Order: sequence, then C-alpha cells, then structure tokens
Amino acid sequence: MAKAYNSYVKRDTFKENISPNVKIWPIFSYGLSAIIFPNIYLGLGLIVFLFILAFFSKLFKGFTKIMLGFGIPITLMLIFIHGFYGSKNETILYDFGPVQLGLEGVLHALKIVSSLLVFLGTFYIMNHTTYTGKLVASLTASGVNPKVGYLVLASLNVVPQMQRKLSVIQEAQTARGVETKGSLWHRFKVFVPLLGPVVLSSLTDAQERGMTLETRGFGIKNVKQTHYVEVFYTKTDKIIKYMLIGFFIVTLIITILMRLSVI
Amino acid sequence: MRIELISLGHVYPTGDEALKGVDLVIEGTEPVAIIGQNGAGKTTLVKHFNGILRPTSGQVLINGEDINNRSTAQWSRDVGYVFQNPDDQIFLETIRKEFEFGPKQIGMPEEKIKEQMDFVSELCLLKDKLDLHPFDLTLTEKKFCTIGSIIMMDPKVIIFDEPTCGQDVEGNKRLKNIVKTLQDMGKLCITISHDMKFVVENFRHVIVMCKGKVLLDGDSKEVFSQVDKLKQSFVSPPPITRVAQKAGFKETVFNIDEFMREFDNRKEK
Ligand SMILES: Nc1ncnc2c1ncn2[C@@H]1O[C@H](COP(=O)(O)OP(=O)(O)OP(=O)(O)O)[C@@H](O)[C@H]1O
Ligand SMILES: [Mg+2]
Repeated sequence: MAKAYNSYVKRDTFKENISPNVKIWPIFSYGLSAIIFPNIYLGLGLIVFLFILAFFSKLFKGFTKIMLGFGIPITLMLIFIHGFYGSKNETILYDFGPVQLGLEGVLHALKIVSSLLVFLGTFYIMNHTTYTGKLVASLTASGVNPKVGYLVLASLNVVPQMQRKLSVIQEAQTARGVETKGSLWHRFKVFVPLLGPVVLSSLTDAQERGMTLETRGFGIKNVKQTHYVEVFYTKTDKIIKYMLIGFFIVTLIITILMRLSVI
Repeated sequence: MRIELISLGHVYPTGDEALKGVDLVIEGTEPVAIIGQNGAGKTTLVKHFNGILRPTSGQVLINGEDINNRSTAQWSRDVGYVFQNPDDQIFLETIRKEFEFGPKQIGMPEEKIKEQMDFVSELCLLKDKLDLHPFDLTLTEKKFCTIGSIIMMDPKVIIFDEPTCGQDVEGNKRLKNIVKTLQDMGKLCITISHDMKFVVENFRHVIVMCKGKVLLDGDSKEVFSQVDKLKQSFVSPPPITRVAQKAGFKETVFNIDEFMREFDNRKEK
C-alpha cells in the first residue's frame, strides 16, 4: 500500500530535468551566500526567488507551509532573544519598561532566520523535485562510495517513513478511544508517547533493510556494479552548475569589498 | 448490533478507488468472515465500521445512526478494531498497560477494568505474561496482546483484520476459542481472513469481496458452492471441499466427517 518512499511526486517541471547532482549546489551556493553577506537583503531576495521557483515547480502550497511553519516561530524566538538581550543593542526600537527592543539584535535575528530559511527552502525544493534514487545514482556515478550513497538514501527516507508510521499508529490510537482532535495541548499529550515506538521502529526497519541489502550482494568487492537508475549529465546542467558557483564567488567578492568599505 | 452500508464508496486521496458501491447488512451475533484476494478492499471496508475511514460516497449506519455523527474515539466504545499489524497498535511498556489503556480512555470504572483484566488475560492465554515488555513477546503473543487490548474495552462489535496471519495451530485454536466465547457473550465478530480452513471451521456467514465490491454474501455452504464466482475473486475453497466438488458431490463439505458421510451416501445409491 505504501507507494513512493519519498517526498518526490512527478510533476513534469523543468527542475526535475536538471541532474540531481547539480541540485545539491544551490543549497551551498545560496545558503552560504546568504550567511556571508553582511546584511539581510540578499537572504530576503533569495527567499523571494525561492518562492517564485517553488511556484513554477508546482510546490507553492507545501513550500509556503514549511517556510511559514518554521519561519514564524523561529523568528519570534530569535527576535525575543537577540532583540531584548543581544549584546550589540544600541538603538532602541521600543521601550517595554523592564526590557528594551534593540534594532541591532532584531536585525541579527532576521539575518539568522533568513539564512536558515534559504537553506531550508532550497533543500525543500531540491528534495521534492528529485527522485532520491536518481540523486544517489548520480552521486555514486560521480565517484561517491555506494555505501555512503545508501546512507544518504536511508536518511532521506526516514522522515516520510516515520510520518507514514505515525499516521497509522494514530489511527490505531483513535480506534482505542483516543480523541486526536481538540486543543493543541491535548494533541501534544497524545502525540508524545507515540514518538518512542515510531523512532525505534524506523531505526530497526532501516537496519533490517541494510541487512537484506547485504544478503543481496550490496557491499560486494572487486565487482563492477551496474546501475538500474540512469543519470544524464547535460550541457545545461554544466552551465547551471557554473552559474551557481559564479553566484557564490560574486557574492563573496562583493562581501569582501563591502567589509573593506570599498563600496 | 446492526451495521448497514448503503452504496458505500471510498476513493483514497491518492485516487485509488477501493470501494465501488457496497450494499451490505450485518446484524445479530453470528460471526462473519470477509474473504477475497489482496487489494479487494476488505481492510478499507471494515475501517468504515468505526469511522477510521469515512465514506467518500454513500452511507454507513451503525444501529441506524450515521457514522459521521461521531468520532472514531467515540465509536470505539461500540466497535473495536484489531489492526492487521500488531506493531501499529502496541506502544506501551507492558501488556498490562496495553490492556488498561483503551478502557481508561473510554472511562471504564476501575472495578470493571479489573474484572476485564482477569477475563481477557485468561481468554488470550497471557496471564503469566502481563508484565512483560511487548518486545519480548513472540509474534503470536503480540497479536493476542492487541486482540486482548480491544476485547478489554468490551465493545459490542469486534473486528479482526487477518488474525490468523503467521500463526501456528495452537494460535488458531486460541483464536477459535475467542471467537466462540465472544459469540456466546452476544458480541458480533467480524473477521478478515485468507485462511479458508479457519474460515469454514469458525464462520457460517461468509462475505466475498472482489475489486471493491461484494461478490457473494451468505451461508458458507452456499458461498463455497458457487465455484465460478469464487474463481472470479481468486478465492479457492479448502482442499477437501474442492475434492468433493471435483468428485461431483452435490453437498458442499468442509471436513473429513462431512466428506465421508456424503461419500457413503453415494455408495449406497
Ligand atoms: N492508504 C491508502 N492509500 C491509497 N490507496 C490505498 C490505501 N490503502 C489501500 N489502498 C488501495 O485500496 C485498495 C484496497 O486495499 P485494501 O487494503 O482495502 O485491500 P485488502 O482487501 O485489505 O487487501 P489485503 O488482503 O492485502 O489486506 C488497494 O488497491 C490498495 O492499493
Ligand atoms: Mg487488508
């Protein structure tokens, strides 16, 4: 009954046709750029860009949900910490009496959040437009040890698998009289005791899968293995890759220049 | 208890149409077996009896009340459901806690829980194992742990999804006894099974499902005599029944005694 062991659903968008190998690059290129850049504008710009990208990859709804679901609480938390208690606070935005909200802290918080969101968003889009099998195949094709490839595959699979397991277990709970609807606190109380078994069983599942792979000759030595999933590496892929590297280098140069107060 | 389905349809969010208009009435206390090939829609069907799944078309009435009137948790007092895979259900540290969990959820009085504990642990033959961790149980024992934890809640209807799966003869005997006991107590047992021998030994009311529809519904002898329709659903009667059918016996037989009786009858003629 379990269909794809992945969050990938074929949507026939251009992003899917880019080699998976290349799609790892934006995570670093965009993410690192957002981190090193001295102010938050690059990060914000990238976030807007990612939203547009998500829209054209037909992922807008899920993407928005993840970004807001992660972004809002984290923003509030960091603004609270840095805004009120940041050591660099000088300009006071608002005086609450006992504590003051400082501009520098708020900006710092926003900077962290925007970088995190760039990482998260890029990863989300990559993950949802890539069939993990293909990703791992392309990794191994470019020289990565198949065992490491399996490790990547297994860890990417763990989350959707746990989600599925969790929803089945929750079903079983309701059939035993547990009300899964209701206040957030109630749902939280019902949810927590389930985590142990879910995590544990996903781990044993992964271990068992590893063992069956072993029995099917996965770790075998001195044999040239063939691949079921074929990957193509096209000219477009190459161009995109160089563009991404270029983007990072340009950002790096601008950053250095800005730090040196040249511009 | 009366369970009534009126042109029940179910389409999963993935677009799979698992039920295509099922009309069915199950009532009384006569145990019912539901059979049919993999993917016929058996699990999907019974998950509607306590509202784990909701109809995407048609209606489900429990004692005349629409299933959508209540949540699954509320229905769980009346309709118990034992999952196919024990690991989906078990999550506490000991069998005792598993047993107490459901009853506590529905607010059963302490006294009654104690009574039930004695009765159920005896019935499921888990009396000595109550304080073991479920991980230390065999697959059979785990299965009976899940069965027991539902019987503990004392529902009027109990649904078993493939209780015979991966069990030995002893396990089947234990199960047979459970079904019989529950019937004597006036409960309605509904069981999904692929084990035809188990089905004919324990159930007189048999429902055959095929591709999201009910193909046959009636007395087991009647059902297993309809060879052509059974073929359609890829169900084959128990071996002895097939031998008798091939030999041209008019009666449908389910065991050696019945077979020999028919055999002798024919010789006399
Ligand atoms: N959660 C689900 N999401 C999507 N489709 C599903 C889901 N569960 C079942 N199906 C589909 O619905 C159909 C009926 O499945 P169901 O589990 O009810 O069959 P079954 O008769 O219980 O089979 P089995 O004997 O293997 O347990 C199948 O085609 C199955 O692929
Ligand atoms: Mg099933």
